[in-house]
Amino acid sequence: MELSIDRLTKHYGHKIAVDCVSATLGPGVYGLLGANGAGKTTLMRMLCAILEPTAGEVRFDGREVSAMGEAYRDVLGYLPQDFGYYPTYTAAEFLSYIAALKGIPRDRAGRRVRELLETLDLTAVADRKIKTFSGGMKQRVGVAQALLNDPKVLILDEPTAGLDPKERVRLRNLLSEYAGDRIVLLSTHIVSDVEAIADRVFVMNAGRFIMYGTVPELAEQVRGKVWELTVPREQARFWQERCTVANYRHEGEQVVLRIIADAKPADGAAACDPILDDAYLYHFGKEA
Amino acid sequence: MELFTLEHKRLWRTPRVWICVLLCFLYSVLYGGVLSFQWFVFGSLGEDTTSPYENNFDGYFAIRDWQERFSQFGDYWTDETLQKIVADYESYDPMERPGLQSMGDWILASSYLNKLYPELEDNANQTYQPLIHYVDTEKLTDFYGKRQWYLDFNLEVARQGGLLTEADVDMLQQMNSQIEEPWKYGWTQGWNYILTGALPNISAKIAPFLAISLGLLFSGEWHDCTAPLLHTTKHGWRKLARVKVMSGLAFAAELFVLIAGGMVAAQLIFFGTSGWDMPIQFIKEVAVAPWNMLKAELFELAFIFLGVIGYAGMTMLFSSLVKSNVLALVFSLSITYVPNLLGRYLPLWAQNVSQYLPLVGAPTDIFRTNVFHIFGKGIWMPYMLISVPILIGVICLPLAVGSWARRQRT
Repeated sequence: MELSIDRLTKHYGHKIAVDCVSATLGPGVYGLLGANGAGKTTLMRMLCAILEPTAGEVRFDGREVSAMGEAYRDVLGYLPQDFGYYPTYTAAEFLSYIAALKGIPRDRAGRRVRELLETLDLTAVADRKIKTFSGGMKQRVGVAQALLNDPKVLILDEPTAGLDPKERVRLRNLLSEYAGDRIVLLSTHIVSDVEAIADRVFVMNAGRFIMYGTVPELAEQVRGKVWELTVPREQARFWQERCTVANYRHEGEQVVLRIIADAKPADGAAACDPILDDAYLYHFGKEA
Repeated sequence: MELFTLEHKRLWRTPRVWICVLLCFLYSVLYGGVLSFQWFVFGSLGEDTTSPYENNFDGYFAIRDWQERFSQFGDYWTDETLQKIVADYESYDPMERPGLQSMGDWILASSYLNKLYPELEDNANQTYQPLIHYVDTEKLTDFYGKRQWYLDFNLEVARQGGLLTEADVDMLQQMNSQIEEPWKYGWTQGWNYILTGALPNISAKIAPFLAISLGLLFSGEWHDCTAPLLHTTKHGWRKLARVKVMSGLAFAAELFVLIAGGMVAAQLIFFGTSGWDMPIQFIKEVAVAPWNMLKAELFELAFIFLGVIGYAGMTMLFSSLVKSNVLALVFSLSITYVPNLLGRYLPLWAQNVSQYLPLVGAPTDIFRTNVFHIFGKGIWMPYMLISVPILIGVICLPLAVGSWARRQRT
């Protein structure tokens, strides 16, 4: 099973949202990181075949996805960034409606809906109208609908937005468990989510993939560029304005700064082991 | 089928939809039907005769009084019938029972006198009283001959004005020759109100309720941010669009059945079925269609139904073409409101063309002698007015499906 992206491009007038990106995705969890406006959502919508690319193509197992039509949508699960729902529907009704749209036979749909409500801890509120739900609960309904047809390709745009830490952990575990021999692509701003579950990570900026690899590989790319520097508290502002500071920790009257910089920022700075956050900040700097 | 059931249920559960249905029912059936029959159209006149809302709440009984009063003039319309009704009016004291005058068939007789017996008018009459007040009833003879003369005169005026061709006149005369004489007769004002007031009113007023209910069928998915999600489901493109269209059509049909059914039920309760076999020439003397009241009512109901379906088709197309609810509503409402509000500012050809839009033309064209020409052949206008709107609607349906079921460019 393979989802391949070949020189995929999307222009909006003179603005380039996605700029000739190519990649091949096999089974596993993929993270898509990037700042706002980096082109993540546009890319995901083209991967879902709901947005027409200006150039390039997306293929699933060698077949162009827009030409596959129903056959592709049958293996696709998608959670849009701004997940819309019908306010007057209960969670169970909404999921049953989406199940019908996904062509799941009624008896199987009923079982699957109950299963997912249970998995996403929504059973107790299954008969409550979605409009009464908190943001996190709505987001879980969104994830449930994406999983209804047991998709081979699962694309989730900001799935952890609005979730509390406990819910985020639960969702991360669910996705890790689910991935197996399926392709799961999730975009997020929250680097730690990707770090925790993604086998491979794409970092996107200005419509292009600027980094790609496993979490350790990406982190390794900034080895020698991550420093820890202990300074008096009054100097902290100076360093924050001058460098990209990944972390800021008080130790008595001193402050320990984690600085991302190509060269050693000061004599007292010590090199330290990089993590994915550092790689992300190295590329996006203060923008992030 | 399951998807249709779910989609249709979802449509009916939308608050704006059932509120629209409720308001439409209250306005058309309760206000335009039941209350009109019982109170401000057929209720006997109250003390203040300047406002119909001052009428008495006794329409049900007043209607029976009318039916009974005019049944004494026989089952067929002859010269004698006209003479008797005119004589009855001349002997009738309107103060005897306030309101009896308002819905009596003296209105009908008076109209006939003015149009068919103009030579009997007293030109020296300085009080401008209608002919019925003073005409010598003995002179009211040859009713059917007079009517034929009046019809010939009207058709000739239309022919000379370029509105009808020689062939059109022949066709209309041929239709007219099929009207059986003497005409069956009973009290006519009830049927008159149904065919020229109540049913045309439904045709004119149902559009905004349909527009609000169906105008957001597709565009609402963009407004609710559900469109991207639906488009990624297996059946979220053509099948969903087809199901939505079917659901929209079913809804339009259900709304029609509810409103028209309610109106017909009210009509049966208040008026019964008597007079169903009277010719429509009692409503307009120059009508040429050899139809009775029942056939005319069935035509008007069919006209409204096909208009409703056609309008639903156009509304759903607009809804699928735009992502904005406001634009979808404006476009849908403009189907009827632009021709109605701006019609007089449009050139004549545009006014004529606009009549073929769903729910723009009037079902009352069956009382007129308009002819539409296509490839040199004349077609009696009501046949065009009933068939073109539904054709427009049917053409819109696949376009609506196609418009929804396409990949987005932006």
